[in-house]
Amino acid sequence: MKIKTLQEILKYKSSKKEFAILTNLKNGDSEIFIPNKILKGEFSKYLDEIEIIYKSNKNGILENDKIFIQTCKNPIKVIIVGAVHIAEYLIDYAKSLNFEIIIIDPRGFFTSKEKFPDTKIINKWPNEAFNEIETNSKTALIALTHDPKIDDPALQYALKNKFFYIGALGSKKTHEKRCLRLIEAGFKNEEIKLINGPIGIKLGGKSQSEIALSIVAQLVSEKYKN
Amino acid sequence: MKDFSEKIIFEKANDWIENNQKVALATVIQTWGSSPLEVGSRMIINENGNFLGSVSGGCVESKVIEECISLIKNNKISQIIDFKVSNENAWEVGLACGGDISIYIEQITQ
Repeated sequence: MKIKTLQEILKYKSSKKEFAILTNLKNGDSEIFIPNKILKGEFSKYLDEIEIIYKSNKNGILENDKIFIQTCKNPIKVIIVGAVHIAEYLIDYAKSLNFEIIIIDPRGFFTSKEKFPDTKIINKWPNEAFNEIETNSKTALIALTHDPKIDDPALQYALKNKFFYIGALGSKKTHEKRCLRLIEAGFKNEEIKLINGPIGIKLGGKSQSEIALSIVAQLVSEKYKN
Repeated sequence: MKDFSEKIIFEKANDWIENNQKVALATVIQTWGSSPLEVGSRMIINENGNFLGSVSGGCVESKVIEECISLIKNNKISQIIDFKVSNENAWEVGLACGGDISIYIEQITQ
């Protein structure tokens, strides 16, 4: 690999651009692939196959045994509503699991930079905050405030925008009440069932870090469904 | 799809190069059976044998580091190393999990 390619990789990663690294295993050439880019030399012959692997988010050697492709897609975005203690543990876990975390909390006193040094925090109500976040079906929502004023609008947004994972903290009773409010707001039962509530897989733990672990475990298992 | 800590690995490679160190990159390009890390896992190695990242669960790293240092010394561009349970290396650095793994090592050059 040329230093130039290495620096290109760093540039794309810093600007959160998706790409793939192509390597010619026979002669050592490497090149960066981005959709619709014209490839040089031997790589250009295998453009169709490269595009298929890129789209499927896979890594591997092409049929010709010559070219290796590694796709570099952006991490899954996880939006946490509520800059509460559990969120601090979630951020710790997320670091090693390659999730990009964004915190929404309109309550100023919760969202200190000290507690969340490297995390993007949006100090606004969910409906306003979502204007500042690009979301898609690869986005996840974790609602932690169990305050309907804050959690509900975020949950509604996540349901409407078909987030791949939606979870809300709170007991069974809290969740039942939450479901009733969502029905009143016009959501169907099938939609509401998509919310993981009470959030997390059953680990038996009660501490904040254990709850965070159970949430992260559920998020990872949902990531590998389908 | 693979991204975990990868940015850190490439950043470190860049740091070493800026400090005039020679650097090699190792990548898992193929696996068979039960191998510990997925295709696309990467490790960087400098001429002093310092490394970051991994290509297995610790089973073959020492051999990969050794090969990378000799790649740098001999100023070769790249090489593929196969680790199979059935080959001689198995006694020294074979994969305890019983899988086979193919690793591509390359020098980062001007």
